Amino acid sequence: MWKETREREFGNIRPNLFSSRISKSRVSSIRLSNYKEIVSSHRGSVNSLQVDLTEGRYLLAGASDATVAVYDIERATDYDGGGLIAKHKSLFVINKQHEHGHKYAISSAIWYPIDTGLFVTGSYDHHINVWDTNTTHVVMNFKMPGKVYRTAMSSIARSHMLIAAGTEDVQVRLCDIASGAFAHTLSGHRDGVMSLEWSTSSEYVLVTGGCDGAIRFWDIRRAGSFCVLDQSRSQIGRRPPLLVRPMTNKKSSSTAQSSSAKVRAPQKKLANGNALKPHAVCRISSQVKTAKQRLHPGMLSSHDRATGHYGVVTGLKVTEDGMYLLSAGSDSRLRLWDVESGCNTLVNFETTRLQSSKAIQMAVSQDSSLAFVPCMTTAKAFDIWSGQTKCTFRGHYENVNCCWYDALNQELYTGGNDRQILVWSPSKSISDEVDEWKKEQAATIDQDNWSD
Amino acid sequence: MNKKIAELEPSTSRKRTRDKESEPESEDDVESSRSLSLEENFTFSDTLMALRMMRAQFPHIEKVSVEPFVLQSQLYSSIKDRTQVDRELESLRRDKLLRMFKLTTGQDDHAVMFTEDYLNQIERVVRRMEEKQQNDLTVFEWFKMHVIQSKLDTSIGHQELCSLLSLGGKVKDEQISQLINAGLLIRQLIDENMYWFSIPNIGSVLKGLSQGRKELLSFLSRRKYREMMMATLEKKRLRLSPLDMRFHLRDLIGSGHLKTVQTPSGLIVRVAKD
Repeated sequence: MWKETREREFGNIRPNLFSSRISKSRVSSIRLSNYKEIVSSHRGSVNSLQVDLTEGRYLLAGASDATVAVYDIERATDYDGGGLIAKHKSLFVINKQHEHGHKYAISSAIWYPIDTGLFVTGSYDHHINVWDTNTTHVVMNFKMPGKVYRTAMSSIARSHMLIAAGTEDVQVRLCDIASGAFAHTLSGHRDGVMSLEWSTSSEYVLVTGGCDGAIRFWDIRRAGSFCVLDQSRSQIGRRPPLLVRPMTNKKSSSTAQSSSAKVRAPQKKLANGNALKPHAVCRISSQVKTAKQRLHPGMLSSHDRATGHYGVVTGLKVTEDGMYLLSAGSDSRLRLWDVESGCNTLVNFETTRLQSSKAIQMAVSQDSSLAFVPCMTTAKAFDIWSGQTKCTFRGHYENVNCCWYDALNQELYTGGNDRQILVWSPSKSISDEVDEWKKEQAATIDQDNWSD
Repeated sequence: MNKKIAELEPSTSRKRTRDKESEPESEDDVESSRSLSLEENFTFSDTLMALRMMRAQFPHIEKVSVEPFVLQSQLYSSIKDRTQVDRELESLRRDKLLRMFKLTTGQDDHAVMFTEDYLNQIERVVRRMEEKQQNDLTVFEWFKMHVIQSKLDTSIGHQELCSLLSLGGKVKDEQISQLINAGLLIRQLIDENMYWFSIPNIGSVLKGLSQGRKELLSFLSRRKYREMMMATLEKKRLRLSPLDMRFHLRDLIGSGHLKTVQTPSGLIVRVAKD
């Protein structure tokens, strides 16, 4: 590290390169933290973790016993082990006894992306609550038709304040905080929606993964999804080839069309070979565009039955540059999709089993090189491009549900069914700290012994 | 082992023998390989070599006649980089050298079969149906000519199937039932409207596959330290499966249920704890 600092001083390496090298070396040495601990105040499995996006200081956790807690991860509440281990207790806890608290498990707790004054929780009691952080009162309440599996708000949104909610109902609902009402619903899934994420490149694009195995992209300004990911459509390599070889496959025309993923709806709708009503047995050709006029062009995609996974899509994560999407399914496969072409990049992540009954929350490092995925009782760090397991984090006693990567400090927070929130951080050798502490002590003794 | 590699030489000429269908199998294989161009068989990919080797090692089953196929997990066990395997399989599939089938045993099982073997299997089934005096087997011709050549995926929708078959002639529902009865198309629980391509006559082999897996895993789990030397394990015979131990070992190691550890006295196979 000192060599790199010197290079930076001399101007041999640029500041970006310098900082990325330091963070890469820190990330590769992540292990169970020996100087930081979070004292979990939950009596049920931790389902959702998020560090706020503005300051990176407060960790919000939602658990199965209907408790929500916020922890300050920068300042410890007290010290233990002779001042070496920092313990972080929760700043406040909201539980079932709260007058407007949730009654059943909380599946998702997220911060309001603009500041930490509000946070949103979604629970199995069919409600989404918007809380004021300082007074811990419910500001707004939305009732959903089914258990809420996931809520999400776009972190880059400038013109809307919509909460997207995925429930066991087939429709994705958008709730508006500004007006307190539902904005609109997105239909197309054939079963509940277990995971959803907003795109990190466009404030109007939402990605949802359903219990039917389909992954759909929605532009909320239009009806219907403009893209459905199909696991059999694949590309070899990170970027799709420039000249697509003409395949005799019927899907070749659709591949060419769907490569311009975010363009006009009518062309987009033909991106599937099965988009026909069952009563007509006719040749699929370009004339089919004129044949089905009765259906709104945006709703043609509801006939598209392509699946991204052979089971439930349990987790989704869009990389920060918005170019790739990582999806986890109950078929124990992790797939990396190229968002622009809608193809499977065929990266094979070595996972033997993934949790299939509950949704999992994954994390991706800032430069999109590492993916942190909870795999049963461990969390694993995969190299995104080759699919190799870089590191396995064993520490939880039971299944890990969620993980959050804090890019500022290169720390990983994981929450599991064993009610614990574990911190994984780059190693700081204890001996250094002890020396520091001793030096401090020694200094005071010296001062006392100085004679004038 | 060397002998096996020598036997593999003629199989590298797969691409050519497809055109020269008249070439009988009894011909001296080494000679024929010399007459084929080097250019076509110059470079090999790891996956292709592994596929050919495993195809040659496919166990011979007495009662059932099935052409050799390789499971995708077996490929993962022999080649370190799984992404490379996936990508090479994809490019081989696009070149129509092989076909992939989704199996009904377990969640993500796929079988890989060379296209010639698949066509041979279909031939065998058609001949058996002819012997039973089933007439009007034209749908199989249409299937071979139109559907297999153009649809390279593992599944096909009802509409698309009808439209592809109608390139040969008028399609009737009974003909699609014929295809299903022959075992070329099956329906899975995932989606009612989709037909999945399948290898005919493979039912008993699949049953043997899942039972053999269970037997091997339970055998190893019952041992004191849940492990065994690969050399001794290889020699054991499985009671419930017609497929040999090597097939099952490769499959379970590739899918992650078993792992191998190198020790000074050889490889040890151990049950992987998750």
